[in-house]
Amino acid sequence: MKRSALAAGDDTAGPDGLNRVVAFLLTRTPLGAVVDWVARVPASVHTKLLAAFLVITLLFITMTGVSLETIQRTALQSRKMHAAHERVEWSQHVDHTLARQMHFTALALLLRDEASVARILRENNRFNDALARLEAVGTSQERELIQQIRGRQDGVMNAVADIANAIRDGRLDEARAELLNRQERGYQEIEALVARLVQVENSQMLALKQAVETANFRSIILTACFAALAVVLALLCGFIISWSCLLPLRRADEFLGAVAAGDFTATIAVPNRDEFGAQAERMNRMSRELGRLHEEQQQTATALRQLNARLEQASRAKSEFLANMSHELRTPMNAILGFTEMLRDGLYGDVPEDLKEPLDDIQTNGRHLLGLINDVLDLAKIEAGRMDLALEEYAVQDVVDSVRVSLRSLAVERGLEFESRVSPRLPIAYGDARRIRQCLMNLAGNALKFTRQGRVDITVEQQGEELIYRVVDTGIGIPKDELEKVFDEFRQVDAAVTREFGGTGLGLSITKRFIEMHGGRIGVESDPGRGSMFWFAVPLRVVVTA
Amino acid sequence: MKSVLYVEDNEYNRKIVRQLLSRTSYRLREAADGEAALGMVREERPDLILMDVQLPKMSGLDVTRALRADPATADVPIIVVTSFALSGDDQRAMAAGASAYIAKPYSPRELLALIQTFLAER
Repeated sequence: MKRSALAAGDDTAGPDGLNRVVAFLLTRTPLGAVVDWVARVPASVHTKLLAAFLVITLLFITMTGVSLETIQRTALQSRKMHAAHERVEWSQHVDHTLARQMHFTALALLLRDEASVARILRENNRFNDALARLEAVGTSQERELIQQIRGRQDGVMNAVADIANAIRDGRLDEARAELLNRQERGYQEIEALVARLVQVENSQMLALKQAVETANFRSIILTACFAALAVVLALLCGFIISWSCLLPLRRADEFLGAVAAGDFTATIAVPNRDEFGAQAERMNRMSRELGRLHEEQQQTATALRQLNARLEQASRAKSEFLANMSHELRTPMNAILGFTEMLRDGLYGDVPEDLKEPLDDIQTNGRHLLGLINDVLDLAKIEAGRMDLALEEYAVQDVVDSVRVSLRSLAVERGLEFESRVSPRLPIAYGDARRIRQCLMNLAGNALKFTRQGRVDITVEQQGEELIYRVVDTGIGIPKDELEKVFDEFRQVDAAVTREFGGTGLGLSITKRFIEMHGGRIGVESDPGRGSMFWFAVPLRVVVTA
Repeated sequence: MKSVLYVEDNEYNRKIVRQLLSRTSYRLREAADGEAALGMVREERPDLILMDVQLPKMSGLDVTRALRADPATADVPIIVVTSFALSGDDQRAMAAGASAYIAKPYSPRELLALIQTFLAER
């Protein structure tokens, strides 16, 4: 899971090299386990981030402390250096005052006056003063040397006092001898001691200098190491906390990709016990729910497909049945109508006068029955969606003429004027001429049947891209509240009308269906008692739709 | 004497044509199914065939196609008797090779006129 999550990440994010480094760190080093552990810590991402930043902040505070301490140590070393310098200076001063003291002692021998003797004492005081200063800042080794110097100095001072007294008394030879014996020797010893003192100070100074250099170097190294450590720790901290958040994000990305691709069995597993863990759990629930819905939908789709197949089969069976019925009904009708016509035509010999009317009645009713059969079968086919238009080019005039010829005898029989008027120069139309003819037959036939006196007119004209067919009669008309229903199946204005005028009540309904199949409209306007106007509009050229 | 073959499975309809043609000089032969019709055409080539669409064993359209495919019978006029209500029947009949079609139920008067038109041409 971890590897695949990273592999998925490789495709989308960042430069390849960096990703390989991250993958290596997470899979081949203990860092992976640490990231895992951090993810498992049951705290919010907010808390974890705060903790991480706190750790980083502490690291830098500590680093600042270490730096301050180093600076302090360096300052201490430089103070020590300063003190050592001071000591060297004072030891040199001691050396210098000793030289002056010796100089003035020798001078007193030559000049033999009080002023010179006083000068010796003054220089001696200066010397003591310098010694005291040095003693104050000196080390134990130096203090020991200084004690020795003091001891000698007392001897020398006694000698100087003796020399001064001898000089005052005029005992010059004695003084000179004292000088040479005691004072000179004492001075030499002091000089040697002072020289040692200076040497000690110098050597100490040198040692201190080296120690300071070493200490400074150590401080720099320590500080640098600590800084480096702090940076590494901060980076690690950032790495761990960011990957404890990024890994679940990458897995979520991978998971969502799988779900988006339609794999509803995909699950997401993250060790996190924070917001990411909660989110992963919700995503798993979502996936399960989607999977369940998908399965349900699949089952429904399968059930629907099976149902559809069964329905299609049933529909085919119905269509076949209809086709068979069409044939089966028509075959005996053919015989009935055929024999009747041949009888009436005298094929079997002359027909007695009183038989002619019943024969005509048989033929009329036979044709009516045939009309009923045709209507019922047509409607059944339309309902089954098995009715197709046979589109072809046709002349409107031919269709109207054909209807007029077919119905002329009916008009004559009912004593009605029956005319047609087609706009001249109509273009050739495109549609199912036979169905258009059937529609016009239905409308005109109805008009003739429902009109007792007056006239029936058929007119056709072009309006834009449409042909408007109208059938106007001077018949009984239709009440307003019935107008909307006349195109419904099995509907006639009044059952009594059916008995008087005949008809199935299917003609208008079939007509409406055919007109709609052509992409046209049908309508009626009526004035009860004065007449009706049925009309339909079809496109001049029917557009074939799939 | 010109011969007419009527292929129709209903006895009463065959009887109509039989009686219709009994007054004419045409000789009528009858077949009750598609296979019998094919055999009779091969036995003796008729001058005109009246072919119902729905027949036992082999449909009228299949017989028509078979006859058109055979050079010996390719040019025999065939009038196919279709069922009016089945839209497209007439187109299918013409596509199968019919010379003309007439819708059932037909008027015997009109059928006779159609037969005479075809046979007079020869």
